[in-house]
Amino acid sequence: MTTIRRRPSRREQHRLGGTGARVTARNTLVAYAFMLPFLILLVLYHTWPVLFGTYLAFTKYNIIQPPQWVGLDNFRELFADEQFWAGLRNSLKYILVVPVIQVIAILVALLVNRPLKGIGFFRTAYYVPVVTSFAVVGLIWNWMYQQGGPVNTVLGALGLPRDGSLLNNPATALYAVMFVTLWKGIGYYMVLYLAGLQSISPELEEAATIDGASRAQVFWHITLPGLRPTILVCSLLSTISAIKVFEEIYVMTQGGPAGSTYSALFYTYSRAFLDYKYGLAAAGGIIIAVISVLFGLINFRLTRGGRVDA
Amino acid sequence: MPESALPASLLQADPHARLAAQLKAQRRRRERWRNALAYAVLVVIALIMLYPFYWTFITSFEPTGNIYEAKLWPEGFTLRNYTEMFQGTTVPFWRLVLNSVVICVLGVTLSTTLATLAAYPLAKMRFPGRDLVFYAILVLMVLPNEAGLIVNFITTIKLGLLQQTNPVADTVRQYLAVVLPGAASIVGLFLLRQAYLNVPLELIEAARIDGARELTIWRRVMLPLAMPTIAAFAILEFVAYWNSFLWARIMLPDKNMLPLSAGLLELSGTFSTNSRAVMAGAVITVLPILVVFLLGQRYFMKGLEGAVKG
Repeated sequence: MTTIRRRPSRREQHRLGGTGARVTARNTLVAYAFMLPFLILLVLYHTWPVLFGTYLAFTKYNIIQPPQWVGLDNFRELFADEQFWAGLRNSLKYILVVPVIQVIAILVALLVNRPLKGIGFFRTAYYVPVVTSFAVVGLIWNWMYQQGGPVNTVLGALGLPRDGSLLNNPATALYAVMFVTLWKGIGYYMVLYLAGLQSISPELEEAATIDGASRAQVFWHITLPGLRPTILVCSLLSTISAIKVFEEIYVMTQGGPAGSTYSALFYTYSRAFLDYKYGLAAAGGIIIAVISVLFGLINFRLTRGGRVDA
Repeated sequence: MPESALPASLLQADPHARLAAQLKAQRRRRERWRNALAYAVLVVIALIMLYPFYWTFITSFEPTGNIYEAKLWPEGFTLRNYTEMFQGTTVPFWRLVLNSVVICVLGVTLSTTLATLAAYPLAKMRFPGRDLVFYAILVLMVLPNEAGLIVNFITTIKLGLLQQTNPVADTVRQYLAVVLPGAASIVGLFLLRQAYLNVPLELIEAARIDGARELTIWRRVMLPLAMPTIAAFAILEFVAYWNSFLWARIMLPDKNMLPLSAGLLELSGTFSTNSRAVMAGAVITVLPILVVFLLGQRYFMKGLEGAVKG
């Protein structure tokens, strides 16, 4: 039997790393030299925070004195703190943004996917809020929400009550901030869905149309299932960022009025940078991390096991 | 077109042709309606997305009047708010601009250099521990990094980056303190590794056989071929560094060292009496981003899609 020597596939070539580069001490050294600066910063600012942060959660620490091991004390203090629970509730409430933003982003993506004249302008326009800093976006919307400002004018035109800034009213402040998150985020997800839409083969949709499927049928049975991977990624991203919501709140309300927009991360921020309780803040960080992972898993199950297309 | 262009005599003679022409016209009419509707929706969304910017823009040119009023045209015109900003009586405006520029140049240079270097061995070399390094980085990307802010703050202090010795060294250290935490970009590493994987191995082998050193191969072969991805990543990083405010604002005690968007927040807090000047500041902060975004839009979108598909 003769052995046939195939030309190695791309993947194999990659695994071999090329015949020229044998594994020698020198080549290994060169490889690590290339990665060294990156790895140093990676460990310092990405790995170390995970490790040290976890350790800090079980200590009392104020930077000046060395950390003091206190076991689960921080977690006990956290669970006894009504403010922490309020923050957590608001963070969970914030997840309401996720389905809304995904549905709108998909609809907008479908809209801008049409071969209309000047569609590039609209795509760009919808993306402008995404590239703008939270600092600027927060300030602009703070002004927009002011008493007698544009938002109140619109509310009045719709026949809704319009007394003062929505941001100053504990009943509406969180929703007002949510709207800004929605407004800023739509363009981002739109672009991702646009990429998803363009990866669906047009032949499939055409074939269905020729077979007599209506537009709605094509959407439900072909487009939406084709978008499933994108939906998974997008809803995962937006769920995690909803739980971790911080910058909008930092710029617009600082947790107020009356703690109505306190989010879990804003709570940990306050404990660390206002009260210098770094251990307590780190414990809060761990709980947020665990919740993010949990929701990530739930999301994963829902969009994969569940039937998005049905 | 063809059906309706048929001679009238023929149309009258052949009922099928007439029917076809009617159907065609009907479909075109429906299509036209549909497009009109699509444009209407597109315009409404564009208004929602852009009006806040436009409103801030025109208000920043107004001399007096009801500042928060909804409007379509500015009531009066003055450059006073801008001159107030430029004179820097309330914030050291030009200093903030300089800070932003230095932070952006330093940040973009550092993060693109580090990522383009580190991705090379991961894509095209063979050495022990390669897969380990790669998966370790992958895990870091998935792991939520909530304690990041707190521990990075502690790390920055422990590294002595906020120490005060002499003005020049202090300035350099504080810039580094702002830039370093974001300089090792995992997303960038992924994007570039992906781009390098597409470079044919034969090219690299040929160069190796000719006795080229790895650094030469990286510079002469990999960088030029990965240029579109590098450009996309550099734009992403520019936007990120220009927009960053939170980290700098939390960490830097010296207000003269803040980047523009963080300084703007400072201004809005201490100087709420002249919101119009702050609005002028917001307009100035947004402009560079818009210019970069519009010029590099194609690359930008590509980088964004690559980051998710990566």
